[in-house]
Order: sequence, then C-alpha cells, then structure tokens
Amino acid sequence: MVSKESCRIEIRAAIRQLSDRCLYSAAKWAGEQLVGIEQDPSNFTPSNTRFQRGSSSIRRRFSTSESISTPQPTVGFSQAASPLPEEDEVIDGDLYLLAKSYFDCREYRRASHVLRDQMSKKSIFLRCYALYLAGEKRKEEEMIELEGPLGKSDAINRELVSLERELSALKRTGAIDSFGLYLYGVVLKEKGNETLARATLVESVNSYPWNWSAWTELQSLCTSIEILNGLNLSNHWMKDFFLGNAYQELRMHTESLAKYDYLQGIFSFSNYIQAQTAKAQYSLREFDQVEIMFEELLRNDPYRVEDMDLYSNVLYAKEACAALSYLAHKVFLTDKYRPESCCIIGNYYSLKGQHEKAVMYFRRALKLNKKYLSAWTLMGHEYVEMKNTPAAIDAYRRAVDINPCDYRAWYGLGQAYEMMGMPFYALHYFRKSIFFLPNDSRLWIAMAKCYQTEQLYMLEEAIKCYKRAVSCTDTEGIALNQLAKLHQKLGRNEEAAFYFEKDLERMDAEGLEGPNMFEALVFLATHFKTHKKFEEAEVYCTRLLDYSGPEKEKAKSLLRGIRMAQTGFPSMDMEHFPL
Amino acid sequence: MAGLTRTAGAFAVTPHKISVCILLQIYAPSAQMSLPFPFSSVSQHNRLGLYLLSLTKACDDIYEPKLEELINQLREVGEDMDAWLTDHLTNRFSSLSSPDDLLNFFSDMRGILGSLDSGAVQDDQIILDPNSNLGMFVRRCILAFNLLSFEGVCHLFSSIEVYCKEAHASSAQFEASNSNLESLTQYDQMDMENYALDKETEEMELSRNASGSVPFHLHTPEALFKATEEQMKHADLLVTRREKSRASKEKTEATSFACASSSTFEDTLVDESLFLRTNLQIQGFLMEQADAIEIHGSSCSSSSIESFLQQLQSLAPELHRVHFLRYLNKLHSEDYFAALDNLLRYFDYSAGTEGFDLVPPSTGCSMYGRYEIALLCLGMMHFRFGHPNLALEVLTEAVRVSQQLSNDTCLAYTLAAMSNLLSEMGIASTTSVLGSSYSPVTSTASSLSVQQRVYILLKESLRRADSLKLRRLVASNHLAMAKFELMHVQRPLLSFGPKASVRHKTCPVSVCKEIRLGAHLISDFSSESSTMTVDGSLSSVWLRDLQKPWGQPVFSQDSGSRKNSTFFQFCDHLVSIPGSVSQLIGASYLLRATSWELYGSAPMARMNTLVYATLFGDSSSSSDAELAYLKLIQHLALYKGYKDAFAALKIAEEKFVTVSKSKILLLKLQLLHEHALHRGNLKLAQRMCNELGGLASTAMGVDMELKVEASLREARTLLAAKQYSQAANVAHSLFCTCHKYNMQIEKASVLLLLAEIHKKSGNAVLGLPYALASISFCQSFNLDLLKASATLTLAELWLGLGSNHSKRALDLLHGAFPMILGHGGLELRARAYIFEANCYLSDPSFSVSTDSETVLDSLRQASDELQALEYHELAAEALYLMAMVYDKLGQIEEREEASAMFKKHLIALENPLEMEPNIV
Repeated sequence: MVSKESCRIEIRAAIRQLSDRCLYSAAKWAGEQLVGIEQDPSNFTPSNTRFQRGSSSIRRRFSTSESISTPQPTVGFSQAASPLPEEDEVIDGDLYLLAKSYFDCREYRRASHVLRDQMSKKSIFLRCYALYLAGEKRKEEEMIELEGPLGKSDAINRELVSLERELSALKRTGAIDSFGLYLYGVVLKEKGNETLARATLVESVNSYPWNWSAWTELQSLCTSIEILNGLNLSNHWMKDFFLGNAYQELRMHTESLAKYDYLQGIFSFSNYIQAQTAKAQYSLREFDQVEIMFEELLRNDPYRVEDMDLYSNVLYAKEACAALSYLAHKVFLTDKYRPESCCIIGNYYSLKGQHEKAVMYFRRALKLNKKYLSAWTLMGHEYVEMKNTPAAIDAYRRAVDINPCDYRAWYGLGQAYEMMGMPFYALHYFRKSIFFLPNDSRLWIAMAKCYQTEQLYMLEEAIKCYKRAVSCTDTEGIALNQLAKLHQKLGRNEEAAFYFEKDLERMDAEGLEGPNMFEALVFLATHFKTHKKFEEAEVYCTRLLDYSGPEKEKAKSLLRGIRMAQTGFPSMDMEHFPL
Repeated sequence: MAGLTRTAGAFAVTPHKISVCILLQIYAPSAQMSLPFPFSSVSQHNRLGLYLLSLTKACDDIYEPKLEELINQLREVGEDMDAWLTDHLTNRFSSLSSPDDLLNFFSDMRGILGSLDSGAVQDDQIILDPNSNLGMFVRRCILAFNLLSFEGVCHLFSSIEVYCKEAHASSAQFEASNSNLESLTQYDQMDMENYALDKETEEMELSRNASGSVPFHLHTPEALFKATEEQMKHADLLVTRREKSRASKEKTEATSFACASSSTFEDTLVDESLFLRTNLQIQGFLMEQADAIEIHGSSCSSSSIESFLQQLQSLAPELHRVHFLRYLNKLHSEDYFAALDNLLRYFDYSAGTEGFDLVPPSTGCSMYGRYEIALLCLGMMHFRFGHPNLALEVLTEAVRVSQQLSNDTCLAYTLAAMSNLLSEMGIASTTSVLGSSYSPVTSTASSLSVQQRVYILLKESLRRADSLKLRRLVASNHLAMAKFELMHVQRPLLSFGPKASVRHKTCPVSVCKEIRLGAHLISDFSSESSTMTVDGSLSSVWLRDLQKPWGQPVFSQDSGSRKNSTFFQFCDHLVSIPGSVSQLIGASYLLRATSWELYGSAPMARMNTLVYATLFGDSSSSSDAELAYLKLIQHLALYKGYKDAFAALKIAEEKFVTVSKSKILLLKLQLLHEHALHRGNLKLAQRMCNELGGLASTAMGVDMELKVEASLREARTLLAAKQYSQAANVAHSLFCTCHKYNMQIEKASVLLLLAEIHKKSGNAVLGLPYALASISFCQSFNLDLLKASATLTLAELWLGLGSNHSKRALDLLHGAFPMILGHGGLELRARAYIFEANCYLSDPSFSVSTDSETVLDSLRQASDELQALEYHELAAEALYLMAMVYDKLGQIEEREEASAMFKKHLIALENPLEMEPNIV
C-alpha cells in the first residue's frame, strides 16, 4: 500500500507542474484527488504551507516569485519521498511567463509565437500545445464554415502535420519530455496511427504518471481487453485509477469496482472515485445505492455537473419527478450550456411526458457535443414515444455508430423495427444487443416477444429465450409466466405445470397477487385433477377459494368434481359443462 | 437561412471554374474587335469556343481537372498559341493575391456578358449571349460568388493557392519526364529518388530497431513512387490522346478531356474543399460506381473502392448512399458480415427513402419510411450468399410489410425476387416457411409445388408491375416467365381432379412470346427516354462514354470478341440507355441462347451468345458475363474438342476470380469429368463427380439442378466402369427424385440414360421401353437434339436384338441423321457414323467388297472426330471396324495402320494417364 503522505506530496508537486504547462484539466483532476486523501489530523497544516512542501529543493533555491515566503524544515523528507523528475529549467523565462499569460487568455497563436525561439523542453511543449489548440479551434470554426448540403465536412486540424513532424524529430533526438510525448501521442491519435500513439502514451505515463489527461487518452485507445493487457505499464498508484476507468469502459464492472474499492483506502474522500463507483453500480442496476451515492456527492460538491446526467437517469428510472426537477434547476443555474445539463432537463421533460420539449433539449445537448452517446439513445427513446420511428432509428443508429457496444441503442433499434411490424428484421438487432449484454433478462424477454409475434410465431425459439431470461434472474417475473403459457399452448402440460408452480413460488415469495396468480392456480388445479393427483389439486383449489370473482366459482366446481371422483362416482364430470 | 446556403451550394465556385472563366475572358473580351488578340484565324477562335463549351458542360461532373491537366489540354487545343494561353492563365492566377482581387475579377466578368435587352449589337463585337450555354455558366459563377460569405471567399482563395501550387510542383517533373532530349536529367532524377529511397529505408530500419514498430511518418517513399507512377500514366495518356486526335480531329476536345478526368480516379486525394460537390453530382457518380462494381464483380479491387468511400464518408457524413455502395462492394467481395452491417446501416439512416428510383417520390410517405425496401434488399443479399430459407423468411416479411403499407411497387419487386429465389435455389421445407405467413399471395400457394408457386408469384408480380408501369420489372418478369416456360411443364393449376387430362408439354411459342415481350423494353425506352433517367446520372452522361477509354483496357484486354464494341458505345452516347436496360436486353439474348440449347439448335445458341458477348459485354453484370463465357466454352468442348475448351477456360478463369460457388468452377468440373470419362480415367471422373456434388447445399430441396446433374454424372461414371446394376440403381433413384421435384425435362435424359445402361449391359429388350419413353418425353417437351440421340439409342437397341433388325435400325438412324449432323456434338456424330457402319456390316445383304467406301468413309469421319475428343473407347471401336473392313478388302497396309492406331487407343484406355496437373 502506498502511504498517503507520499501520495500527497507527489500530487502537490504534480499539480504545480501540470498547471505550469497549462494542462488544466489534468491539474484539476489531480487537485480533486489531493483533497480526497484523508487528512492526518496530527500533521494538518494550513493550506498555504501545504503547497510548499511539494516543491523540490532546487526549485526553492532559485525560485523567483511565489514560493519563497515560508521555508519548511521538511526538505530531506520531501526529497526522499518524491520521485518526481527534476525540472529541466529552473527559472521560467520571461518569455515563457508572457506566453503562459497569453495562453491563459486563450490567445494560442500568440502564445506559440512568443515561444518561437525558445529551446527548453518546457517552452517547446507549451509552444506545440498552443499550436495544437489553435489548430483545434480553427478546425471547429471551419467545420461550421464548410458545412455542405450533405452534413458537416470533416475539417482537419491543419497544424497536425507540422506538429507531428517536429515532435517525431524531437523524439528521435531524445529532446522530448513526458509532456511532449503526451502531446505527440495525442497528435498521432488524431492522425489515426493508433498503435504508435498507444506506445507513445505508454512511454509518457511511465515516465510521468501524474498526467491524468495522458491516461484518459490512453484509455480511449484501449478498445479491447487484449489491448489493455498488452500494455507495458510500470507500477504506480495512478495505474490503478487508469485500470479502474478502463475496466469500466470495457464493461467489466466488478473488476472496476474492486479497483475503486482499493483506491478508496487512500483517497477516501475523492469525489471522483465516488462518482466512478456510482457509475459502475449504475451499470449493475443498483439504483438505490447509486441514488444515495449521488446525493452524498452533491452534498459535498453542490456545483458539480459532471456525471450528473447519470444521476438524472437514476431519478428517471425511479420516477422521482420532484428530485429530478430540483436537480435540473440546480445544474441549469450552474451552467446551462453543458451537454449534461441539457440531458438532465431532457430527462425531466421526458418523465413529464412532454416529449417534444425533451427532444429539443437532447438536440441541444448534441449540438454541444455531437458524440454524446447517451443523448442520442435517449433521443431515440423520445422519438419512439412520439411514434416517429424513422427518426428514432436514425438516432439509435448514430449512437451505435459512435459506440458499437451500446446495447441500449441496439435494443432500441430492435424495438423500433418490431413496432413497425418487421419482427424478423428486428431480431438481428436484438441479437446484437444481447451479444453485448448477455446477462440481462429484459433483453432476452424482448427477443422472445419478437419470436412470439403472430407474424413469426416461432414458439420454440421464444421458449429458448425465456429460459435464458429465467437463468438471468428475471426480476419482473414475465419469463416464468410466459414459459408456462407457451408450454400450455404447445400442449406440454407437464412442463407448463412445472413453470406455473415455479411462478407461483416466486409470486408467493414476493407477496404478489393478480391475474397471473389466478391463472396459475386454475391451471394447476385442473392439471393435477386430470392426473388424478387430488391432494395437490385440492390445495390449489382451496387457495383459489380465498379470492372472489369467477375463479372462486371455478374452484368450487373443481372441488365438487374432485370430491365426486374421490368418492368413486364414475361419470358426470361437472366441470366440463359450461358454467 | 440554412436553406438558402444549401440551395446555393448546388453550384459552387471552384478554382477550376475560375480558370474556365479566365479562358472565357480570352475567348470573348469585352473589347470591340472582330478577332481578339491572340487568335490568328476564326477557326482557331471557334476551336477554343468548342473546347470551352465542353468544359462548361463537364463542370457538373464530380471530378474537376487540375490546373496541370487543363494546361495540357490547352496545349492541344491552342496549337501555336498555347504558350500564350497558358501564360495568360497562370499569370492571371498569380495576380490574384488577395480576396479583393477575386472580387474585382468577378465584377470584371460581368463585362463580357451582353445586356439582356441589347438589341443593338454591332456585328464585329463578340459578346456572350446571357442565355447561351457559356453565358449561363458565367452568370451562375457570378451568382455563386456573390452568395459567398467572406469566409467562403477566404476558403476559395486558399484553395486557389493549392490549385496553383500543385500545378507548379508537378509541372517541373512533367517537363523533365516528357522531353526525350532531357533524358539525362531524368536519369539523374531517378538516381536521386533511389538515393532518397535508400536513405529512407535505412532510417526506417534504424527507427524500427529503436521503437519496435514502423514509424508512422515515413511514408515519403510511397509519395515518391506515386509521383513516378503519375508521370508514367501521363505519358501513356498523352500517347493515346495523340492517336485519337489523329483519328478524329473534330472530337479532340472531348476525348482529351476524358483522359484527364479518367486519371483523377486514381488520385482522389485532391483537396477536400474542392471535392465536395452537389448532391446530384455525387449521387450520379455513386450510381456509376455501383454499376462498375456490378460489371467488374469480384475482379475489381474492393480495397481501393473502400478507401475512396471512406474518404467520401468523412467529407459528407450525411450522404448515406455511401453505405449502400459499401454494401455492394462487400457483397461482391463475399464479405457477409460487413455487407450485412452496411446494408442495415444504410437503411437505418436513410429509411429507404433516399435514392431508390423505384419509389416515386410523390407517393413516399415520409412519416413511416420505406423499410420494406430494406427487407427486400436483405432478402436478396441472403439469396446471394446462399441462405435460401433466411432469404425467404425476410422476403415474406417484406411482402407483408409492403401489403400493410400498400407499397405496390415494392410488392411487385419482392414477388419477383421471391420467384427468382424459388426457381434458382428451391427451398428446403416448403410448408413450414410459407405456411406460417398469413399473406394471401403466399398462403394460397402453400399446397402447391415449388414450380407452381414460382408461376403464381411471377404472374402476380407481372400483373402489378404492368399496372404500375414499371417497365424494367415487366421486362425482367417476362424473361423469368420465359425461363419458367422453358424449363417447366405447364399443367392446369387448380384442376387436379381425375378428369383433368394431365398432358405434359412445353410450348416454344410461349417462350418466344415472353422473350419478345421482354425485349419490348428497349423500344419503350427509346420512345420516352426522359422518364427513365435516374437522378444525377444524366449530368455525367455527357462524359460517360468518353470515360470508356479508361474502363476499356481493364475489361477487354482478354477478349478479342469485344473489339467491335465501339459501335454500340456510340449509340450509348446518343441515346444514353441506362445500364440496367441494356443489361436486361442482354439477358434476353442469353435466354435465347439457353432456349436454343435446350431445343437443340447449337448454331443458334452459339450465335445468340456471341451477340450477347459482343454487344452487351460492357454493360453486363459479371455473373451474366460468366454465363456467356460458360456457354461458349461448353460449345467449344462439344464441337471442337477439349483442347480448345481448356484453353478458353483458362482465359475465363483469369477473368473471373473463382469464388466458392462460381459457374466457372462448375464448368471446370464438368469438363474435367467428361474428359476423364472419355479417356477412361474413371478414378478422376469419380472424384470430379463427387466434387460437383459437394458444391450443392446439403439442405433438402435446395440446389436441385446441381444435385441431379451430380448423380446423373455418377451414373454415367458407373456405367463406364461397367457396374451396370449400380448405375441402374442410381439412375432409378434419380428418376424418382426428378419426379418428386417435378423436374420433367431432366426425366427425359434420365430415361435415356437408363436405356443406355440396359443397352450396354446387353439387355436390349429391357432398354427399349426406356428409349421409347424418353423419345415421347422429348417430343412433348420439344427437345429435338435429345430426341435425335434417343432415336440413335433406340436404333442401337434394335440392332442389339439381332442382325435381322438392322434394316429397321438403319431407317431410324437415317430419320435422325439430319438433326444429328446439323446440331450434334462430336461424340454424337461419331456414334452415329459408327453405328451406321455397324448396321451395314451386320446386314447380310450388304457386301463389303462392292460398297466398301460407304462404310469406310463414315468410319474415317468417326475416328477423326473421336481423336479430337480423345474418346479412346469409341475410337478403338471405329478403328477396329476399319481394320476388319480393310482385311476383307485385302488392303494389308491400311489394315496394319488402322490396327496400330487401334492398339494405341486401347493402351491409352487401359493406362489412363494422369491429367495435366495444371488443369486439375
């Protein structure tokens, strides 16, 4: 186990280094983890001094502006515990400072121009990074300018070629640090050279593990477990964060939960870990637990927008209108132009049955982020509700093309086609969806229903699907009932009785009543009676007597018949006459 | 607002259009003079005008030539003033140094247009009529430019820079490689390239050692290769162009343009912003690509198309037709999963409403989409991949959905597809599949046999297509009907009572009628061509036949028969018949060939196939072309011997990449089997026979024709191995199968085979009824050639009963002789000759010494033909008879010669040599 103290020191230094290089989101992430570490009350220090401990001795000796105020006595300790690389330049040049302020004002080209002749690794990185961002910005603009009648053209970042050339040259001469490698990896990925990008990013995170942005880029390149296992990563606690995230994306939720459990030992107050755990639990459909976690998360971090769309999904599933509207209001006030916020509002309207408005908000979310997977899927659901199947199919298909593993969208496609009376065509999509999530009874039941439609009427296949659904612990109890009915329909009374009994057991255990129960009882009573098992038949009949309605009458006549048969009256099967 | 920019996007200003504008300025300067400055004669001026006219017409094409290509074309058009023209062009471009210059340029352009109401135009003034072609072009350019936003102007400006830069970069190389005088420098350059290459590879190796993987950035050598290739290509093009311009002076402009546009197919990696064209253009272009995929089949490289499609997709993500094209491509390269995936994706996105010309847009209900078309396509895909049951299930659903949505058009097509499926493959368990559906069309048919169902489906489809005026479907249904009439025996459909006299027969007249009706399509089409044209394809029709020089060498290098196809191409240009129509007409010729084959006229069959191969080869789909080749090769094998046939087969094999179940593979096995049988290599024959059987699907009722043929061949092999009872068993069970599946025509040949078996086993009395039955079958099905050969067998059987029947046998033979000699293959003819000799020889009233020539002549003829066929057994028989006759006549020398030959054949028969390994 890594000591909390060393983690803390490492992260502190890392935050400084990252924000010095304008890698803000990585710095933000690191900061979240830093405060997530449980504070040791004994050596709790005021926040301003905490920052000094991370700085290396050399830096302090030459430091110019900010970190000189309070020299700390922990020099030796920090040197021993911190494996951070020594910085290659001690003083930020004046030009660097200027460039950084330009960068902070989002004047990227200006920043890179200022640094044009600087040869230190740090300056080179910032120059390239600024250039890259400038290219990205221009790309976004061009995408809108060049929009043709056939959709947005795929504008490219025009800086990529020159950046790639320069960075590869630097890499060959070895004049590149881990941040440069990270940028090189990003450029390579954009250019579509995934293997080399992966190798470069691995190199980067191995030499400097605290850059979370590099890890996320690497994660997005790990599309299968084989690739993930093939990575040659050196051990570090950051690797556990990475693996947890990667497992989650590869739908290995239990493995990912285990990782996060372990990490929680160190970072016990990390919001990030809590949110990730909630995500995993959500995929495992533990909605109650997820709701509690999110509530706690919001208490600690009330202005958080990230991952809140997931929370809204949970609230949607639990049909908690008030809570959902509260959440929507809150994120709306925090930042209304975040795709997540739009998605939450869309969910709210959907729950309220105002599908047109919901679609509008999902559309807005997609305008903000065209690759926002869940918005496509949710919009598909809305269109299904609005009976606009072609639009629904289009939306689902876009989701699937963004991420082919999205079983919800595959399922939605199947559903849409089934709605249009094309069950055979729909089967393909159900099969796809089940392929990605074979343990979900709902999907199996949907497929079985498809087989059961009057157009196909392939009952044997439907039975197979229901059996699978039962083995996946079908919570809604549709499968058992349907199995029994299908067997009954096919004249296999033994099997039918077996499944009716099972279904009855289930309903008893859950304390449910309803038409299904009557049906099961009636069938079982008649079945056992025809097989001369009068005792069982009587048991079911007497249970039926507890309820009112036509079933009661039926039970009475059945009982009469049983009595007669038992007393040896040979003829007159009363119950065969219509009542 | 978005709508406004979108409609404006229908005509975008591009650098190429600007160069056309510049040329137009030269052509019609606003100054007042009868002949503008650089032109020395009026004809020269007119030549430029014609050239510009073709350029403006071609502006709607998807590819635009690069500046360099334009300059090359100008060199030919401009003759002595080409230098001035190109200089002016490049100077004009280089003078455009800021967006403001562009603005000025276009306001200058206004000057060359005459005013709309100008009545007073002086005679010597050259002014573009604003309503002329050129004038319209200028006006469109100006309008499009005026609609551009400032960003748009900036983009145009930067693309002009790229346009000029490319030309500069390549022109240097171009000069170097094209002038023979400077071959030395060229050599130097080559050296340089090699050197650079070496260096690059060295580096590559180095860095490979370092990082363990091939670095991404080192693609420069490829670029170099590409550059050299490009030069070669240009050189080639130049040559062809020179030839052409000599041949037809007045067509120079057009042809040279074609060359230019053809070369761009290879390097599609042009500047992206230039690439994006209007919807119509791209749709038309994609249609052409689809045709190309179909024509070239699996022989065209799927990866190049794939990469091109990928590019197109990233440029125009909302262009869903790309997915369909990708589906077609995958379909032809036999990649089931990718094909399925792309098909579904296409219909998910487009909802079936995009681009299908079979849906009239007015009836398209946009609310529900047209997913029944998706089902139709999916069904056809399953059919093609050989999943008949799946296909039928999908098509049944298509029928149901199109009935629900009352899409009669789709229904007609689906029914046609269904009948096609049933007739080509058959289905395994007919009742379970068709019975489950509640659709009225199919459920009435559930109690009928497959053929009857095919008939009903066809009739239904035809009726609907007729009422909806779907001409192409009507035509193809007529053809399918003809095929049906040809192959299947008609019976009254619903009167199965004992009273209905079941008279089996086929009716050649109705076949003929159906074929004729099918061919009416072309006359329908030429009378009202405008209604049949499909969106976008017209815009490129102008250049379509001009592109042929590119397509031609790929396709026709291996077949000399297509030499004279230029005539039809020319017609193609004039009438612009869509490929699908000419495909259908072609199919009717193929069907004619097939029917003549069945009815027994070899020359007619051959002629029709040749007509097909010469006239329709260019537009035919690869499977049809394959069929034509197959027929021709079969003809060769039957009438010219195996040597020629195998040589032809080799050519065909190179042409059609043999995929799992291709017709060519089938043909090869058939040929090898026949050859092995004739040479007496029975083991090989058996093997081929088994392989043939292995090609058929294992499901019951599927691929029946193939199965029947395999067991027919098995029986023949057994017969050749003298295992008569086994052969008879196989033939008997085969007859039962044919009866069960209602295959009447096959029955006739099975009966003949049975007669043959009994004849060989020396049991002539048993054979007679079979032979007679076969003859009567042939009579009612109009199978004349088969009947002739059955008559021959009958005669042989009579002779087998004893020599006193030889007179009757001879009479029978002479009755069939005209048919046999006129249409029969080598084997049949030889058999007839030998048999004739046998008859004479066994006739006691015939004396050899007086009438030897009648016998000898036939025998000589027979042995010659059999030698070509390498049929050792029969050849030996003929030679034996010859030797005997010579012996009787006392001609020792000839006798010895004949007996030596006889011995040779016998030895060859007993030691069957292994087949040439390269053929097997």
